[in-house]
Amino acid sequence: MADLLPPLGTAQIDGKTKVDEKVDYSNLPCPVPYEELHREAIMSLKADNFEGLRFDFSKGLNQKFSLSHSVMMGPTEVPSQSPDTTIKIPTAHYEFGANYFDPKLMLIGRLMTDGRLNARVKADLTDRLVLKANGQLSNEPHMSHAMFNFDYMGSDYRAQLQLGNSALIGATYIQSVTPRLSLGGEVFWAGVPRKSGIGYAARYDTDKMVATAQVASTGTIAMNYVQKISEKVSLATDFAYNYLSRDVVASVGYDYILRQSRVRGKIDSNGVASALLEERLSMGLNFLLSAELDHKKKDYKFGFGLTVG
Amino acid sequence: MDSLKGKGKGSKGASSSSKLDLVKEWTNWSLKKAKVATHYGFIPLIIVIGMNSDPKPHLFQLLSPV
Repeated sequence: MADLLPPLGTAQIDGKTKVDEKVDYSNLPCPVPYEELHREAIMSLKADNFEGLRFDFSKGLNQKFSLSHSVMMGPTEVPSQSPDTTIKIPTAHYEFGANYFDPKLMLIGRLMTDGRLNARVKADLTDRLVLKANGQLSNEPHMSHAMFNFDYMGSDYRAQLQLGNSALIGATYIQSVTPRLSLGGEVFWAGVPRKSGIGYAARYDTDKMVATAQVASTGTIAMNYVQKISEKVSLATDFAYNYLSRDVVASVGYDYILRQSRVRGKIDSNGVASALLEERLSMGLNFLLSAELDHKKKDYKFGFGLTVG
Repeated sequence: MDSLKGKGKGSKGASSSSKLDLVKEWTNWSLKKAKVATHYGFIPLIIVIGMNSDPKPHLFQLLSPV
């Protein structure tokens, strides 16, 4: 299931009990949400590299409410017919955003100059049931999407129901089997184009490493492994294979979290090397540098940005 | 099923030949209105909720760029 936006995280993760004593199978910890199964790998390997200038200014009005202004200038890629050429169109836009964070309700809205609204809502309906909604609405007809998720968190399992526009229904379930291993599955049905799919996932984690694997009937098989070398360094590797379209990608990446900066980089089997540096110049002022070199397609992207607040 | 749908689309009046078509029309109409309402009203809704939360910020803080 492709998320249109990065997954929202829920702050309802219990700590793990030490495995020195005998495993208490009736008291297993709650597993990670299904869409965040591979979140450690995503942090290193799918960093958001960008091209051009990015400026984000965020102003807090009080503890819960803040406004944000973003300016982005740079080329954006347009899908082209042949896989060899990439077509880029220079664009510039300004995005106004408003955020409201409450323990029980979170609202995030972003409005662009071309009229597109990006909305996210997360509401705790009860202690264990969370409603998440996200949508991208635009003025053009038939270009709007919305997705509603109902998440139920049990003692050692999580279940989620997804409803999307244009008749999309999905459900995921993940269960802790041992204190370190959790297994899950998902099933979805899409109205347009008519297809349905089923997938399975497994995650094994310890203090030092996380390994996950996912298989889906859409043809993807993905496995990734993250090793936490120290508090500051972690390395990740990922392997994705699509048995229907015969695409294979393997990548290796790193994530260094230092005192004043954070560097993430990866190299791919498609000949793509990329890195992202976030440096904290002073309190509330962050400088970003992003580079992505695609040697196969000869597409080199560099970006820089500043985040205030 | 197909002939019934054809009849429903052919008649342009308010009366459709089956209740399902009416329900579909109403849900389509309400979804369109909901989409327009969300598009125009989501950000003002967040601003209203935010300006009414504790401690109440001033209107000046909302509009000034500092």
